[in-house]
This record gives sequence, structure tokens and C-alpha cells, in this order.
Amino acid sequence: MMVKLRAFAAFRDLLGRESVLELGEGATVSDLLLHLCKTRRGFLEAAYDQEGLLRDYVIIMLNRKRLDGQQGLEQQLHDGDEFAIFPPVAGG
Amino acid sequence: MTAMSLPYSRLWPEDDSTVQIGPVPISHDSAVAGAASADIGAVVTFTGIVRADQGVQSLLVEAYPEAAAEELERIVQEAALLFGASVDVIHRTGKLAAGEAIVLITSAAAHRREAFLACEYTIEELKRRAPLWKKEMGSFGDRWVGK
Repeated sequence: MMVKLRAFAAFRDLLGRESVLELGEGATVSDLLLHLCKTRRGFLEAAYDQEGLLRDYVIIMLNRKRLDGQQGLEQQLHDGDEFAIFPPVAGG
Repeated sequence: MTAMSLPYSRLWPEDDSTVQIGPVPISHDSAVAGAASADIGAVVTFTGIVRADQGVQSLLVEAYPEAAAEELERIVQEAALLFGASVDVIHRTGKLAAGEAIVLITSAAAHRREAFLACEYTIEELKRRAPLWKKEMGSFGDRWVGK
């Protein structure tokens, strides 16, 4: 399946503004993050702490709805989903 | 410039509040004139400006435009419900030099108290909730704000 990846601010610097990822059927949000760790230089260090936990400042939206906690990471992805990743907001 | 020609804009359907996000000019006079009507007794504006402190020469403002517009629409709707005010938001994106406006909030209500409160509510919630970011650029290089 194909999932659109959109990254903003510091994560855009690492991942590019927009791309399409091909993932296996049944892949979860965690699987997508693992894929990024394996394929994008610097992402692992930016997104995860030394204990392997997602850093607090990593914000994820799936189809423009914010994901929270472990339950969010286990959410299954579907073909055509839009996955967005960014740091805390700082507008205005 | 009409709302339809902007990169991302939407008219709130139940009142005349508007949200605009993109590399657009900000006109304080036009915003105030657009907010005026027969039942409006107070218009309050807030303008956020690129501040040239600590060597900052310019900002790069970035948005997740669709998500930011949705969040700002929720915020102006909340302001309307809480304070009975109509609120317009223009948030610029792209490279902005020190002294340029980043954001303009125009709050219109029957009386000044409601207009002030709705304006303050909108900028505070924008800063807390809307997916927008700023990269400071200057003699130090560049750095994302808030990371």
C-alpha cells in the first residue's frame, strides 16, 4: 500500500517535505516509523531517545488527526493515508 | 485580493470569519474596513511582527496548511461562541524580514470587551494549537524556534 508522508520544520529538513512510502499490507504507524529509522539518515537520533522511546516533541498526525500514546503507534495504516510528522508548533 | 485567489483560505460558513494561510500580504486597513458593519461597535487587531533580536534578520514561516486552516477555523468558531465576536486570521508563510508582519488577527464585536477577549483568545490558541513553525535566520545561521 502507498502512504503519503509529509514532514514539517526540523523533520522536513530530515525527511523532505512530501513523499510516498510503499509499505506492506497491515503495516502500523510503528512500522512506518521503523521504516524511516532504517532508510532516512538522522531520523532515529532525532525521533527516539537512547532508551528507544519516541521523543516527547515528536507529533504525528494521521489523516490530519493527532495520534497520542502507544495506542496511536499501533494504529493500522491504509492505502492512501496521509501521515504527517512535526515538532511542537511555534506559529504567531 | 479576493479570498479565492489566496493559496489557502476558507470562509467560515456560519458567520463572516475568515482564515487565510499563505504567502499573502497583510493590510491592517483592509482588515479593519472588512470587519466593520452596522452592528459592530468595536474592532480589535493583533499584529505579530518579526522581531530583530539576538541577530535575527528574517524568519521562514512554515505551515501544514490544511491542518492549520482546520485548527484555526475551530479556534475562530470557539471565539465566536465564547465571546460573540467575528474573528479573521491571516497568517503569512515564507520568508519574512525583520519588521514584517507574520500574523494579523481582527476581532469584531458589538462591544470592546468581547472584541479584546476574542482577539486574545485567538492568538493564544493559535500559538498553542495551530501547526505552524518559524525558522530564525541571521548571523548565527538558522534554527527552528521551539525545538
